[in-house]
Amino acid sequence: MLKQYPTFRFVLMRAGWYFLTFLVAVTINFFLPRLGKNNPVDIIMGKAATGLSNEDARKKEEKYLQEFGLAKVGKDGQLLRDAEGKPVKAGRLEQFGNYIKMCLMGDLGTSFQKYPKKVVDVIKEAVPWTIALQLPTILFGWIVGNVLGALAAYRRGVFDRVFFPLALILSSFPFFVFGMLLVYYFAVVLPWFPAMGGYANSIMPSFSTAFFSSVAYHYVLPFFSIFLILAGGQAIGMRSMGIYELGTDYIKYAKWLGLKEGKVLTYLFRNAMLPQITGLALSLGTMIGGALITEMIFSYPGLGMAMLTAIQNNDYPMIQGCTLIVTVSVLIANFTVDILIGFLDPRVKAGLQMGKGV
Amino acid sequence: MKCVTVLKRLVVGAALLGLVSCGGGKDSGGGETAGGGSESGFARGKTLYLAGSQWGDPNTFNPLAESWQAAWPVNDKFNLMYETILSYNSLDGKFEPLLGTLVSRDNDKVVVDLNPNAKWSDGQPVTSADVKFVFELGRRFPGAATAFAIDFISGIKVETIDGGVERLSFMVDKTKRNNPLVILDHLQAIRIVPAHVFEKLLADNGNDLGAVQKLKIDKDPVISGPYNIEHYSNERIVIRRRGDYWGNEALYGGKLPAPEYIIHPIYKNNDHFAIALQKGDIDASQTFMPRIWLKKKDGVSTWYDDAPYFVPGAMPMLLINTTKAPLNDPQFRRAMAAAISYADIKELAVSGYAPDVQPGLIMNQGLEGKYFNAEDAKEFGVTCDPENAKKILAAAGYKSVFKSDGSLDYMTDKAGNKLPTMSITVPAGWSDWEAMVKIAEKGFRAAGMDIREGPVDASLYWPALPSGNFDLIMHKPAASVTPSLPWNRFESVMSSRNWVPVGGDNKMNENQGRYNSPKDKGYNPKVDELLKKIPTLEKEEDLAVAYRELNRIFMKDQPSIPLCYLPEQFYEFSSKAWTNWPTSANPYAPPLLPMVGASTKILWGLQPAK
Repeated sequence: MLKQYPTFRFVLMRAGWYFLTFLVAVTINFFLPRLGKNNPVDIIMGKAATGLSNEDARKKEEKYLQEFGLAKVGKDGQLLRDAEGKPVKAGRLEQFGNYIKMCLMGDLGTSFQKYPKKVVDVIKEAVPWTIALQLPTILFGWIVGNVLGALAAYRRGVFDRVFFPLALILSSFPFFVFGMLLVYYFAVVLPWFPAMGGYANSIMPSFSTAFFSSVAYHYVLPFFSIFLILAGGQAIGMRSMGIYELGTDYIKYAKWLGLKEGKVLTYLFRNAMLPQITGLALSLGTMIGGALITEMIFSYPGLGMAMLTAIQNNDYPMIQGCTLIVTVSVLIANFTVDILIGFLDPRVKAGLQMGKGV
Repeated sequence: MKCVTVLKRLVVGAALLGLVSCGGGKDSGGGETAGGGSESGFARGKTLYLAGSQWGDPNTFNPLAESWQAAWPVNDKFNLMYETILSYNSLDGKFEPLLGTLVSRDNDKVVVDLNPNAKWSDGQPVTSADVKFVFELGRRFPGAATAFAIDFISGIKVETIDGGVERLSFMVDKTKRNNPLVILDHLQAIRIVPAHVFEKLLADNGNDLGAVQKLKIDKDPVISGPYNIEHYSNERIVIRRRGDYWGNEALYGGKLPAPEYIIHPIYKNNDHFAIALQKGDIDASQTFMPRIWLKKKDGVSTWYDDAPYFVPGAMPMLLINTTKAPLNDPQFRRAMAAAISYADIKELAVSGYAPDVQPGLIMNQGLEGKYFNAEDAKEFGVTCDPENAKKILAAAGYKSVFKSDGSLDYMTDKAGNKLPTMSITVPAGWSDWEAMVKIAEKGFRAAGMDIREGPVDASLYWPALPSGNFDLIMHKPAASVTPSLPWNRFESVMSSRNWVPVGGDNKMNENQGRYNSPKDKGYNPKVDELLKKIPTLEKEEDLAVAYRELNRIFMKDQPSIPLCYLPEQFYEFSSKAWTNWPTSANPYAPPLLPMVGASTKILWGLQPAK
């Protein structure tokens, strides 16, 4: 079936696999946080119950169990109780059913820790910042790193001898150390840039030049804290790939044929780039999860912190919501690259045309 | 390449649009009123920056929500939007008038007069109906945040006296807790909300409190306080001065509070408070900043110019699970108390921000200092003395076996049985607590007790505390200075009122160490008697005697080990933008941020720096 349309068949098969992966991932996302012994209400009660009598604390706990859907509720709207009068906890499968039902209706539930905020709202507020910080940084770092890496591989000489160790040092710097050094030197010692925040506290977010220039000003240090390290890493990868490709027969053949240097470089770049594209897809996919460390170092808005506190507090709906969008974005990014590679890599294309499939 | 750059620009542009729309969506309450014109933002000379009271995203401004859910300044006992009846001055122990004035207090009732001038922002007067609404909400809804009040108050009697003033008598519930002291706590902690607004909301939501608690109440809420919400996002909360605040006339002689705006930035990292304060980006903060003397050159000031810099108010301590051997042995517990170097804790863990800790549960400082008895502390208490710790252990039959390198191997009890290694539960990442525990561990092991630090995730710490699922655990009971101190601290550590054994779903919200089980033959009924009696004592002499007796029992039994004295709040400020902050030389308000209790008056005392 569909043998005469190998491309379409390829896309469809990949999509099928990705859908399956999605289902498995969603199930794991649901059950993983629930495997631990402690439940989120216990964590909340630790903070909320100090000084309350046992009776008051019990009432409060039951109220939370009911509100968060962790206990069964009878038809009269009251909690169902067992023989000892304790509320009957809702089963995991039942909760899973509810979760799937709500997901399908586009409702990710209400956060426990950020009650009464909806998970969707938390994500909606944080994701634009996360994308604004991560997407340009990743793309720009990827492009600059690869171009410099390819140049270093092709040119060698002094450029490479200076550039390569520098890139190596940059890429092996932990994000947080580099970020803190940036804050220390460029915000504290030399007060050129603000140390924290997404925009100045004295400005109202609005469509004004004042706001946008404030955002841009606050963007500099977080941007460079990721960008430089990322570019360094990409450059090293690209350089090694480039050097490897330089030794291959087709390049030698191309040179021997007397092709122009620019043409040879294009061939080289195209082939060496393939693994780099896979890397790019992975980083783009996981970027939604937020740059937690960058957020913490710069008090920068974003989803990373929301996810961390959710996990620390067993905030099931929040964890599920975050992991869901991370899952979806990783899968989409990978799917896109899979398809792209199919078109970019002649070997894959050739394999398809010979009917072997992938 | 070019194409990618263009694409990048487009994406950045789109993302920025997204930022604006999500930030701007929320200020529909007072969008165009943004201070000093939305273009120039909030002028520094009109804006006060406070930090450290809001961590994480602001979720709700609903005054009926639980305190831990609500955002600054609706959480805690902050008096900027919703106000309490009285405010408590933790420096002199006096009750200062706010919505009401304290008239009298005895064992039957606490009497206050409501201020007849107090008004809601919609012009309605603040009346007894509002007070009754929030104090008695627990009778209608068991899950209400203020439901605990009905354990103490049997009813509120209202009479109108001269001048139309409403006189409220909070009747002590003799059948339940019989505790007028805690009623005083409530009067300075429970904020009054407008009953006419919330009754209507309840009616609109089918009388379902849960549904009303879900409302965020963040748009032009009806409040009685001097500032109202102007704008908020996940990065900061902005409140704006109300020109028509009733208290300006009634309490401050017609003066307006100095800052027109108060902004609370939300940081994700502890270091940012110190950086921002040093740079003058914030004016006051309440966060732990190590080695504050190094920050003085950048204009960071504290209550005292020199050590201990802060006024002590709280007592972080090691709670001991007294149901487990050998921790059930008072001699062992006393040996533990003698093994810890409190001087190291003070210098190394808390940067010297504390006076020397004394034996017992009463501070020799501040308002409770009058109940401290130095002779008793000498006679019954143990202080840091590692040799004494070893002596106590040897006398009780414990033996320690050390390895050849001098480190502890294990310990045996009287019968010669090997004792298990015990651990101190402490939330991982709470750096000052972890440092205290490390120093305690060092002392324990040197004295031959097999105890180790057991850092756990905060999500495991909170459930462990009430369930009693620990050997030793770090805890700070009675964290804020209230009228009921030091009784409140004793109650939190020693009361057997709700005693249940460890196990199952059993939880205790005080005395988590399960000290003094009523079912034990060694039960000391005196402890609970004193805890019941103290709140009803009116004469200072009687109180001194009762506290003295209770503290002796504590020192003999050592159910917990206080490690140091820390301030209720780390009060740090910078005078770069605002001057006339209260200090020990100018103590016109307690050392708290200008929104807590009696310190709210700082807002009227501040002056813009020239």
